[in-house]
Amino acid sequence: MRHRLSSLLWFCAPFAVLLALWAILVPHFDVNPRLFPHLDSVAQAGLEGIKDGTLVRHVGASLLRVTVGTVLALLLAIPLGIAMGVSPTVSSFLTPPFRFFSVLAGIAWIPLASLWFGYGFGAITFVIFNAVFFIVTYNTLLGVSTIPLHVRNAAASLGAGRWAMLTEVLLPGALPNIVTGIRTGLGFAWRGLIAAEMIATNVGLGYMLFVARDFYKTEVIVLGMIVIGVLWLLLDRLLLAPIERATSERWGMVQRV
Amino acid sequence: MTPLLLRAWSRYLRLTTQWPSIGTIVPFIPLIVAWWIVTEMRAFPPAFLPGPAEVVRSFGSLVYTGVLPEYLQDSLVRLAIGSFWGIALGVPLGILVGLSQPAHKALWPVLLFFQAIGDIAWLPILVIWFGYGLTTMTVIIVYTVIFPVVLNTVLGVRSIPVNMHRAAQSLGASRTRMLWEVVLPGALPNIMTGLRNGLGYGWRALIATEIIVGTSGIGFLMFDARRAGSVVEILLGMIILGSLWYIVDSWILAPIERATGQRWGLVTK
Amino acid sequence: MKSLTIRNLSKTYFDVHAGANVTAVRDLSLEVPAGEFVSIVGPSGCGKTTLLNMIAGFIPHTGGEILVGGHPVKGPGPDRGVVFQSFALFPWRTVLDNVAFGPKMRGVGRAEREKIAHEYLALAKLSAAAGRYPNELSGGMQQRVGVVRALANDPDVLLMDEPFASVDAQTRMTLQEELTRIWEQKRPTVIFITHDVPEAVFLGNRVVALSKGRVLEEIAVDLPRPRVWDDLNEDDRFKALSGRVLQLVRSA
Ligand SMILES: Nc1ncnc2c1ncn2[C@@H]1O[C@H](COP(=O)(O)OP(=O)(O)OP(=O)(O)O)[C@@H](O)[C@H]1O
Ligand SMILES: [Mg+2]
Repeated sequence: MRHRLSSLLWFCAPFAVLLALWAILVPHFDVNPRLFPHLDSVAQAGLEGIKDGTLVRHVGASLLRVTVGTVLALLLAIPLGIAMGVSPTVSSFLTPPFRFFSVLAGIAWIPLASLWFGYGFGAITFVIFNAVFFIVTYNTLLGVSTIPLHVRNAAASLGAGRWAMLTEVLLPGALPNIVTGIRTGLGFAWRGLIAAEMIATNVGLGYMLFVARDFYKTEVIVLGMIVIGVLWLLLDRLLLAPIERATSERWGMVQRV
Repeated sequence: MTPLLLRAWSRYLRLTTQWPSIGTIVPFIPLIVAWWIVTEMRAFPPAFLPGPAEVVRSFGSLVYTGVLPEYLQDSLVRLAIGSFWGIALGVPLGILVGLSQPAHKALWPVLLFFQAIGDIAWLPILVIWFGYGLTTMTVIIVYTVIFPVVLNTVLGVRSIPVNMHRAAQSLGASRTRMLWEVVLPGALPNIMTGLRNGLGYGWRALIATEIIVGTSGIGFLMFDARRAGSVVEILLGMIILGSLWYIVDSWILAPIERATGQRWGLVTK
Repeated sequence: MKSLTIRNLSKTYFDVHAGANVTAVRDLSLEVPAGEFVSIVGPSGCGKTTLLNMIAGFIPHTGGEILVGGHPVKGPGPDRGVVFQSFALFPWRTVLDNVAFGPKMRGVGRAEREKIAHEYLALAKLSAAAGRYPNELSGGMQQRVGVVRALANDPDVLLMDEPFASVDAQTRMTLQEELTRIWEQKRPTVIFITHDVPEAVFLGNRVVALSKGRVLEEIAVDLPRPRVWDDLNEDDRFKALSGRVLQLVRSA
């Protein structure tokens, strides 16, 4: 417990230094607030945004899109990936197209999505769905098809039926890959979200940043960047990375950042 | 399956073991045929989903007018410049953070945080600082490439067993020699992974930047088409992006990544 | 070849987790003339690795002095070759390049250092594996590479920390015989750490038993060389010496 607390402090210490530098250097050199904001004006923008609800609205909109897009994508991708991965011939045939689409994932869909769905919730959720869906399907496919055949044979000879095979062998066997896929896919989706919101909507964090630019409100831009960073850091470090570590390390796979 | 189909299938399988590249191309044929059928049946209005023939035609005309080669070159040059700086700055920084405990304590959290901010979020403020242009794009790509490279380099450096350092030292290696003979090769598989991830992110960032602030490049081509409502060119852009990255990633980056780590036994397959 | 002199050596670690000092080596003195083969035995945790790491210069000592050829040790150097229990071969270099590493660091040209490496590989019967990478070798072969890599650098003192602990019994006996054979040819000063009492007696001119960071007793081994297991297995003097050392270690 003491160890965790001290490592948390160590993690935060560099930021305290950065904030202090910011608070001292920017006023000292009299930096034009149109180029870079003062620390207190950012804090003020944050407080105002919370008080009048705009910040909350933007964050809420972004998170809602990510959640809806991701959940939809996972619901489809994991069963599909497993179904396709079960047969080696089918999976080797389908791997290249899925790889192709996972390569395209995210940002490249923005123009098409905005034409098909119009600006707004639909287009952006579609972009996120895409980013997650193809990468997770591809990774699930990969995960299932790399489960050694003798493991599946062993399970079958131990009396595993179809359902048991799915829940006891295929799903756990592919899990490390699936989780890695989710983490990668969400990474692309999060960036795609910000980009898409800059272009194709009138609410959300990306939109907030992009509009602030028109008025040279650097304090809002920097506030938005910090919020984006903190949200992703929380999501990735507190949720995704631990899950990935728990699955892949236990199965003895390589480390990732 | 009828015996004929089975025979064809087994011949196909034999063919793909002989020429693996066939196995990566053939699966796209049914996809394209399906696309063609859907558009021929007019399931969607052509303005919504044009057919493959139209995309090929627009490819021909864009190549003929020289727009496509020029845009493609612009995008690739930007990516190359950005990646070069990303690597040139990222690997040394990663080695520093990996080797020095104080540097690690001070910089690791900051690196994680700035990575989390994500490239595209920098776009508005970079536009204010540098305007629309190459500088903004280069900064974005360098920013994107550098983090996966740095973070993976750190991981690689720190995963080198301490006895490896000791062995080299007791064989007479100086500190600078150690960098070259132990640290760099020991971290290389991770550096390659970082590079591959970094390029993957960097390339997407480039497209997004071109879409939002570009005046040329494949991303711009797509967004320009979006403004004109021309789905054909959007699709063409997507296909080019996908194919290009597919080729770069699976025929160049992935084999290099595998070749370094696997023969050395540092990465298990 | 150089002699090794250790006077009143001590080492105190600070254990971060327990928040207390741990004395691993205390007031230890040892004199090793040039060209001698000394085996060091002792129960787990008695400070063997710590001692070796200090001689190698990997960790600083907190008291006393270590002299190699009359000069105090200040960090690792090519005059003291080290063979690690975990081999510590460079996975990114072929067997040949691993063995040629030391000469390369000395600035020996490519042709010359590869000649040296081939020579030493032949000594360890590894010529066929020269072009392979370490992970393509068996454990026993890897450890032979580890030994000749240290030897090829022509060290004055060879330091070995349980080098054969992680190979199977058959291979270990072969490695022991090869090591004595090579040692008889090259005659470096050797500090050989082991848990294995017969191994210590088989290899050493002298066996030093450690206990709680101190020298408990030194036993001279005056068995004739060359030594091979087929002769010694049934040798009464060998059995008697092993018995004595074993008793010492168990009483430690
Ligand atoms: N880095 C360290 N920090 C704190 N204590 C240490 C450290 N290294 C070793 N020790 C302690 O010093 C003592 C001697 O350790 P050492 O590794 O030298 O033993 P050893 O004789 O080599 O044992 P073994 O036969 O198990 O290898 C042990 O009590 C150990 O816990
Ligand atoms: Mg030890």
